[in-house]
Amino acid sequence: MEKKLSEMDFDEEGTVKEIAEDFRVQIAGMGIRKGKKVKMTTRQPMNGPVVIEIGSANTSVGYALADKVIVDVGD
Amino acid sequence: MKRILLMGNPNVGKSVFFNRLTGVNVITSNYAGTTVDYTKGYMCLEGEDVELVDVPGTFSLEAKDKAEEVAVKMLDEYNDSVVICVLDASKIERGLYLALEIIEKGHPVVIALNMWDDTMVKNIEVDVAKLASILGVPAVSTVAITGEGLKELVSSIGDASSATIEDIIGRVS
Repeated sequence: MEKKLSEMDFDEEGTVKEIAEDFRVQIAGMGIRKGKKVKMTTRQPMNGPVVIEIGSANTSVGYALADKVIVDVGD
Repeated sequence: MKRILLMGNPNVGKSVFFNRLTGVNVITSNYAGTTVDYTKGYMCLEGEDVELVDVPGTFSLEAKDKAEEVAVKMLDEYNDSVVICVLDASKIERGLYLALEIIEKGHPVVIALNMWDDTMVKNIEVDVAKLASILGVPAVSTVAITGEGLKELVSSIGDASSATIEDIIGRVS
């Protein structure tokens, strides 16, 4: 099943499937790339940042960005 | 005067290296983005005075904010300088992205795999020699806050070499 990064449940894991073109280069340096395993650790209320675990590092991404990343979370 | 740039992701210990190497005391903290502007200092390398620049942390060379803009501008401006690329050894993948971008620009690079003590706590194994041979640049494991590996790092600055992405790709496959 596909989900936006911003819609993932706590501790849910998945694989990055698609990143909106205009953000792709911007977040590549943070380790967020197609095919990478990702886990959503925390999400702040009121469209706040989403904290994810990717490549053994914790990274927080803004809501607007998390909304543009599609993750395959299995079934 | 020869110039050396300290570059890397935010919060990997660049400023700790800077303080240790130059004796200048810049503020360090455990927060990403402590350094937003650059600081210059001087150190003696093989009997020669060299300028060391503490560059703000950046994830990539496509600047997203003011601090990153400074970093990218410095790299372009000082295009003949050696770069000490500081990586958090426990988050090596993310650091290598930037390291490869810097290598791609043609700068002579030395890799400092910092927070080496952290890799042991987290049970992460990194083959330093293999990394160095794949990248074609020197790599040293370090713990900046205790000074471990600092001597090796300084002595490898002279061996800093540039590599091409094509060669690196060839060595990986």
